[in-house]
Amino acid sequence: MNLTRRDWMLAAACWNGLLRAQPRKFVSFDAATAAEIEAIAARIIPDDETPGARAAGVIWFLDGALAGYDEDQRGLYQRGLAEAQARRAELFPRSASIASLTAAQQDTLLKAIEKTEFFRQVRVHTVLGFFGHPMYGGNRGMAGSKLLGLDRSMTYQPPFGYYDAEAAKP
Amino acid sequence: MSAVQYPPSEVVDFIVVGCGAAGGVLARELSTAGFRIVVLEQGPWRHEKDFPHDEVGVMYRSGLTNDFKKQPNTFRKTPGEPAKLQPAVEYGRMVGGGSVHFTANYWRFHPEDFHERSTLGAVPGADLRDWPITYDDLEPYYTQAEWELGISGQGGSNPFDGPRSRPYPLPPMPVKSSGVLFERAARKLGWHPFPAPVAVLSQPYHGRVACVHCGFCESFGCEVGAKSSTLAALIPAAINTGRCDLRPNSYARRIEVGNNGRVTGVTYFDTQGKEVFQRAKAVVVSANGAETPRLLLLSTSKVFPHGLANSHGNVGKYLMFDNGGLVMGLFEHPLNEYKSIVVTRVLHDFYRSDPKRGFYGGGGLDSRFDYYPAGFALDGLPKDMPQWGAQWKRTIGQSYSHMGGVLAHASCLAVEHNTISLDDQVKDAWGLPALRVTFRNHPDDLKAVRFLAERQREILTVAGARKIWEDAGSMEETTYSRHLMGTCRMGDDPRTSVVNRWNRAHDVPNLFLVDGSSLVTCGRQQPTATIQALAYRTADYLQRAARRGEI
Repeated sequence: MNLTRRDWMLAAACWNGLLRAQPRKFVSFDAATAAEIEAIAARIIPDDETPGARAAGVIWFLDGALAGYDEDQRGLYQRGLAEAQARRAELFPRSASIASLTAAQQDTLLKAIEKTEFFRQVRVHTVLGFFGHPMYGGNRGMAGSKLLGLDRSMTYQPPFGYYDAEAAKP
Repeated sequence: MSAVQYPPSEVVDFIVVGCGAAGGVLARELSTAGFRIVVLEQGPWRHEKDFPHDEVGVMYRSGLTNDFKKQPNTFRKTPGEPAKLQPAVEYGRMVGGGSVHFTANYWRFHPEDFHERSTLGAVPGADLRDWPITYDDLEPYYTQAEWELGISGQGGSNPFDGPRSRPYPLPPMPVKSSGVLFERAARKLGWHPFPAPVAVLSQPYHGRVACVHCGFCESFGCEVGAKSSTLAALIPAAINTGRCDLRPNSYARRIEVGNNGRVTGVTYFDTQGKEVFQRAKAVVVSANGAETPRLLLLSTSKVFPHGLANSHGNVGKYLMFDNGGLVMGLFEHPLNEYKSIVVTRVLHDFYRSDPKRGFYGGGGLDSRFDYYPAGFALDGLPKDMPQWGAQWKRTIGQSYSHMGGVLAHASCLAVEHNTISLDDQVKDAWGLPALRVTFRNHPDDLKAVRFLAERQREILTVAGARKIWEDAGSMEETTYSRHLMGTCRMGDDPRTSVVNRWNRAHDVPNLFLVDGSSLVTCGRQQPTATIQALAYRTADYLQRAARRGEI
């Protein structure tokens, strides 16, 4: 059998679907760390009227990225998260975790660390997970294209938008 | 796989190093003309099915380009400072090279681009020179490139273009909303917009299908082969000759030289990382404006202790980068720029250098919105707006389909201390010295970018944009480029250039260099058409010279 790369991608997407239906283990994090990172991602793209990072499964993208292409950033995540925890303890001395903070407290914490390399990287990964191809684990239910209101198709025909349609009118 | 495999010990007629925009042309032309050739391409040989709609893989994991993690480069602005690890160059790394993933803008240089030094005089702090050839010398080859590859456009629609011997083979692509707004506004301003000439098929051509407007075009490979890359348009015919042995994943590490100063072949790392020495009568290097000078500098020998073809120290000098800012506009109605190709309208009213402006240079403008979804979310909004959280999410959601923009393609002056050289500390994954990039814009480059930004704002304002903002980074000094030009420049004088008017190395009679490195000036960016015209011209010359026994 001669499998093409597209076949592999389809197979991977189906496999991801299957895996999602069952309890699944993270490769790059323990469960507690995953919950902390997911709490950060969920404030970067909150779940509100439309799905956010949590509903889109962005944490699974992150998990895969740190086990694969961005493996070299594991250290940054470890150091960055430790610094974020220190900052949390400073700002909210009675708190036990980022995940257990209220949304407003989480936003305060993230504002305090938003210039750090760690936050910048989590933001990049969160956005890539949210808008990227679902084969990477995130963007469940095509949350990304739904947010942008994309008319999703593999091909299009003119008119493409309002102004070229208007110009084409006799 | 290629139909023919020559043993490395066989002395083939030509080795072509790099199978990109130029190398693909040479592969096709030389094999069709009856020569036995070996093409060494450092990247993989992909096909249409290997080009998915995958922004993460392509844009953020170097899916189609040089991977900084394996092929690092260092960067510094001036020769005096230490170079640090920082991505500065990007190129297509695959069979087809940059012609696979480029935006597909296909501009000819203007006739005056070839003799700006004579018409404008010297520019202090730069090394502006005339080309040894004229637009008329290149015109037949621009035409050949357009007809061989399949270019869509409307000949004669750009009043600033030089004369052309034939129209484009295909009509322009359907106009997008960004193009409609651009054209309307530019006409109101008294300017001359025209349908973009693009290397994308608006109709079926030479057995290839027309564009299906999928929207994953700039930076992506075409999944139906409608983008007129050398991969889609030329390589199949080259392979069919049975004389083109195309070897992907083959990374040239040294061009070998005999005691008589002639090249004898190329040593490269094969797929397994093993060194192979392929013999040849002559070598053509088309590895791009960064890798071509690097390969020459890596090719030291007794005869050429400072690198091949470098007896006057010119290899790697006069690096020119891709300048030009992006200005974006938010409109009332959806443009849906995520559909179809990127650019459908262009104008060249500010292309020519005008001494009245007080600086050298100018540029072309095109209508486009330059972002895919994740890219827009990460970098597209003005920096004074929130960059994460609920409000940011709403803004992204409401804006994306309503965005348009104008991109400038601005001049870049050749400056002697802007160079490609070998880093003395950093090595790539194969153990070879990494590229060291030294680049700082001439002040006139930035003046041109700023001047054009005002024109871009005018267009978007007259077009009725509700909010206009600049991609701030794109207006600053250039530190990263996909256009790699000028590093083995063409000229009649061996003391000031690396190749002669036929792209032959002054120092080495059987070595030819054809890619962005040959460019003496960079026009107003969009160099692919000129690179390919030079490749056709070189191929033509090689056939005639080889028959006369002059190689």
